[in-house]
Formats: sequence, C-alpha cells, structure tokens
Amino acid sequence: MDLFADLWMGLSVAISPINLVYLLIGAMVGMIVGIIPGFGPAAGLAILLPVTFGMDPIGAVMMLAAIYYGAMYGGTITSILLNTPGESATVASTFDGYPLAQKGRAGPALVMQAVASFTGGTVGVILITLLAPAFSHVARNFGPPEYFLLALLGMLTLIVMIGENWKLGVLSALIGFALGTVGVDLETGQSRYTFGSAELIGGIHFIPIAIGLFGLGELYFAFYRGLHRIGSGSIAQYDRKKGFWPDLADWVDTKFTLVRGSILGFVVGVIPGAGATIASLMAYSFERSFSKRPKNFGKGEMAGLVAPEAANNAASSGAMIPLLTLGIPGSASTAVLLAAFLLWGMRPGPLFMTQNPEFAWGLIASMYLGNMALLALNIFAIPLFVQIIRVPYRILAPIVLVICTLGTFSVSSSMIEVYLMFTAGIVGFFMRLYGFSPAALVLGLVLGPLAEEALRQTLTISRGSFWIFLERNGSIGIIVTTAVLLLVLPLMQRIGRRAGALKQGTVSEAEDAGV
Amino acid sequence: MRIIFFVVILAAGLMYSYVAFTNLDFLTMTGRLGPGFFPRGIGVLMVVFTLWSMSAELRPSAAEGRSDVGGYAGQVALIMGFGVAYVLSLGLIGGIPATVIFLFVTLSVLNRNRLLQNGLVALLVPAAIYVLFDRLLNAAIPEGVLPLPF
Repeated sequence: MDLFADLWMGLSVAISPINLVYLLIGAMVGMIVGIIPGFGPAAGLAILLPVTFGMDPIGAVMMLAAIYYGAMYGGTITSILLNTPGESATVASTFDGYPLAQKGRAGPALVMQAVASFTGGTVGVILITLLAPAFSHVARNFGPPEYFLLALLGMLTLIVMIGENWKLGVLSALIGFALGTVGVDLETGQSRYTFGSAELIGGIHFIPIAIGLFGLGELYFAFYRGLHRIGSGSIAQYDRKKGFWPDLADWVDTKFTLVRGSILGFVVGVIPGAGATIASLMAYSFERSFSKRPKNFGKGEMAGLVAPEAANNAASSGAMIPLLTLGIPGSASTAVLLAAFLLWGMRPGPLFMTQNPEFAWGLIASMYLGNMALLALNIFAIPLFVQIIRVPYRILAPIVLVICTLGTFSVSSSMIEVYLMFTAGIVGFFMRLYGFSPAALVLGLVLGPLAEEALRQTLTISRGSFWIFLERNGSIGIIVTTAVLLLVLPLMQRIGRRAGALKQGTVSEAEDAGV
Repeated sequence: MRIIFFVVILAAGLMYSYVAFTNLDFLTMTGRLGPGFFPRGIGVLMVVFTLWSMSAELRPSAAEGRSDVGGYAGQVALIMGFGVAYVLSLGLIGGIPATVIFLFVTLSVLNRNRLLQNGLVALLVPAAIYVLFDRLLNAAIPEGVLPLPF
C-alpha cells in the first residue's frame, strides 16, 4: 500500500498547474527535438538544461525528463513520413513505417505509433513504480566499493556496445575521466591541471562540453553527411479526413505486439549501455520471428512498426531505474539527466528515493501524465509537426548554433565556457567522423569524479588492498552482473544488427548514430 | 587527418601524464591516496590506448577503402568558420546584433536566393531569443562594447 501512497504523493506534486505547464513544454520540445534529424535527446537536454536554472528543481526535472522520452515519440514521425529517423532509436521504425506511408497508410501508421509509444511508455512507468523501490532496497547497503564498481559497470557496458571500435570507446571514456580531474582536488585542496587559471579552479563544467559534443558536434556531422541539402519535397502525404484512423485489423493484429515490445524494451532499457536503439531493433527482430507473416516485414506490416515503437519508449522508461536507484546513467541522455540532478545538489542512488520522496515520486508520477500528453500531442498536433519537418535543415542549423551559444553563455555569463563549447563541438565532430564515442566521453566526465572519490574512499577503508572488492557481497554481486552483461550485450547487439540487415541503408544510419 | 587527430590526443595524453607524475602527489602526507593517484592511471592508459589505436591505424590494411576527406567537408569548414566569427563578435557588438548578422550571412550562403525568408528569420529568431532569455527567463545575453538601447 505504501507504493500507492507514494505514487499519490508524487501525483499531488506533479499535478500543480506550473509543473503541468513545464511538463507540456517538455513534451512539446521533446517532440521537436525528436523530429530534427541529427539532433538527439542528449543535445536537446544539454541545451535546455541552462534554461531550467531559474525553475523549481522538481518542475525542471519533470520538464527535462519529458524532453527525454518525448524525443522517442517525435523521432518516429520523420521515420514514417520522410524515411529518415529523427534519432537513432527510431531507425527500426523506418523499416515498416515508411512502406506503410508509401501504401497510402501514413495516417494509421502515425496513430498506431502514437498508441505503441504510449503503451510502451506507460508499461515502462508502471514497471518503474513496481521495481524501483525494490532496486533501491537491494542497493541500500552499498558503500564506496560498490559505488566505484557501479561506475565501472556503467562505463564498461557502454564501451562493449560500441562494438569493434571499443578501443576508441575506451579512449573516449579516458578523455572524459581526464577532463573530470581538472580543478581543485576536494580531499587535499591541491589544484590539478588549472595551469594558474582562476576559471579552471572549479573544474571543467559539464554543460559546455555536453552542448558542444551533442549539439554542435552532431550539427557539424549532419552537415558532413549532407543533411542540409535534403529538401522536404519527399514527405509522404496523408489525409486527415479519409483513411486516417487505423482499422479493426490493425488493433487486433498488434494487441500482443504492444505487450511483447513494451516488456522487452523495458528489460533492455534497464541494462546500462544497451539503450533504446538496441531495444527497438531487438523488438523488431523478435516480432518478425513471432509473426505469422514474416515475409511482410519490411513491406509495410503494422506489427513491424508497433514493436520497435513500444520497445524504444519502454526502454527510455527502463533506463530511469539504474539512474534513480543506482546513480548509473546508461546513455548520453541519462548522463545529462544525472548532471542535472547533481547541479541541483541531488545525487541519485540507493537512498535517493527515501531521502527525496517528493522529488523521485513526483518525477515518476509526471511520466504517467507526460505519456498521456504526448499521446494527445502525437495524434492531434501532427499537422504542426509536419510543418516543422518542412523547415529545411539548412535553416534550422544556424538557429541551433545560436541557441547552443547563447544557452551556454547564460549558465554563468562566461565567454570562456562559450569557447570551451565551440572547442568541444569541433572535437565532437572529429570524434564522430573517426569512430570515437562522444557518449563515452560525457559518461566519463560525469562518472569520473564520482568513481575517483569512491575508489579513494575504498582504498582508505581497506588500507590500500584491492581484495576488498572480493570481500563484500554487494561488490561480488556487481562483479558477477558485469561479467554476465559483458557476455550478453554483444549477443543482444548481434540480434539488433540482424534485424537491421533487412534494410541496409537505414542500418548504416543506426551505426552512424552510435550508442 | 585521422592520424593527426590521434597525434593530438597522444600529445595531450603525454602532457597529462607528465603533469600527473611531476606535479601531483601519489600519496598525501598522512599516507592516504593523493591527487595524483587517479590521473597517473588515466594518463598511462590514455597513452597506451592511443598508441595501440595508432598502430592499428598505420597498418596498410586500415587505409584500404577509406578516404579521410569526403562528405561535405567544405560545408562543415564553412559553418565552423561562421561559428567562430559569431562567437568572436559576441563580445564586440553584443549577443542580439551579432545573432542578426550571423543568421543573415549564414543563411545567405546556405539558403541562397531567398532574401526575404532569410531576412525574416534573421530578425524574428533573435527577437524571440531576446524575449525568452532576457524578459521571461532573466538569463544573461552577451553585451557588446555598446549596450543595447532597450
């Protein structure tokens, strides 16, 4: 019964008029962020983060979380109408989404993707409600050794998912760790890598780096791929008056697909590093093997659209579990969310839900409301989003650059941070071009200081002995979990790739997008 | 270009390690782990992984079928150049005027022969940003040598 009391309390926090406004703004911005190709939720979150500084922390986190899961809804609209995924997690939605639109069924495809996204998102939040307290309870006895191992687990799983470029992934993470050591060492007060600069004493701030890597770096990379030369002439047409709504067969055929996709997506989402892209590709692959008409997949089968859509939304909810209960961000987007929590003086982890119940349950409750708002937005505001799709990238890109620049400046009125953001943007472009992982760098920057602090505390407790990691049940559990994940994750990746092999062109898009 | 990027990372890794080993203590006076403990490990690993990646890069098979300069590299250089000019102009003429000029010039190059459309975007976007940042969010916008009259 405590669960319902907590959820009710969270709902009373989330439902205040100002928080609802923030939630709607977040959902709307998330949709727009999802629609713009080459501009993922991590970039949207990083750019919008400075804007939230004047807000109440609960409202701000509700808004940022809505941007995060809202992007999953928005990304599919371009997948269906333009055959271009708005972001990597919606690549699988192009496989059957666009063929459906070509067959004149764009309307039913748009409605069914909204319903699938809503189902996945809502099932995900229900499972968070049920499982997050249990995760917190298990992790309650964790100390510095376990926190260090958790940070390592978060990094390792992400690097494994990078695949054959794993060495560059490790290098990216090490660069992030190195940047995290700049500033005053909190334990001894000694300056590290400040080179006498007063600006660097407080360390390298996360926001300019994240905005640079995910905002500018992605923008430059989109230019490199020629996205600015693509016009909007190839948008599939649909009629809102005739044949817009799905027919009975669409609902009947996909009722179990919705459930399967949601549960699979959630499970994959909980695993740090796996993420929504792998979840959606796996769901597509599994659905094809379950289907009575596997040959129709790739030619406009509704189940082929519904499965990945339910999965990617459930995965984005699932990723909140390790973030809230263990303090591990499994992806670049959740790393930005973790940074937001830390900026507001809150450290997610095993005690987070008991120490900040209003905050944690307010956020969870807001996700129920956010998914409802997104369902309505998705179905009834499609014409508005189609108008946004029609704005060519060559016009959007300079505007994004301006928002990145002025957003960075607004954080602490510092031109140094703007220069840092631009440098990160240029480095981010070359990282993407040469197969490095900006996500691993950002994760290293966020987790590095936490890992260093935990490791130093651990070795102080153990008087310098590393055997402490094998003497505690919690540590052994995390080491075993890490070993299992390192074996399982490549298999999951292989299943996802096999699904992608159906559409060679769009798979290279998925690989381009990285993890 | 790719190998130059690796050389830059290697140089950064070597410098990082040098500072870690020469300026930062491994242990504190009380015998606890000092500020140099973590950076030393990171620095060494950075150098090792960069050299490892570079050695793979220098193998003849690695270069096969791969071109360093491809895609729209010229367009990327162009938008980077405009971006740098924009950032440098922020402190001189202020956030809003610099944004108007940057948008108009950039759009004139990227979105040619649409003078009216470009002009409208170059005026309306900074106006919206001014209202959002300055009036609604009370967030700072870079001021130039001469402040805005409003």
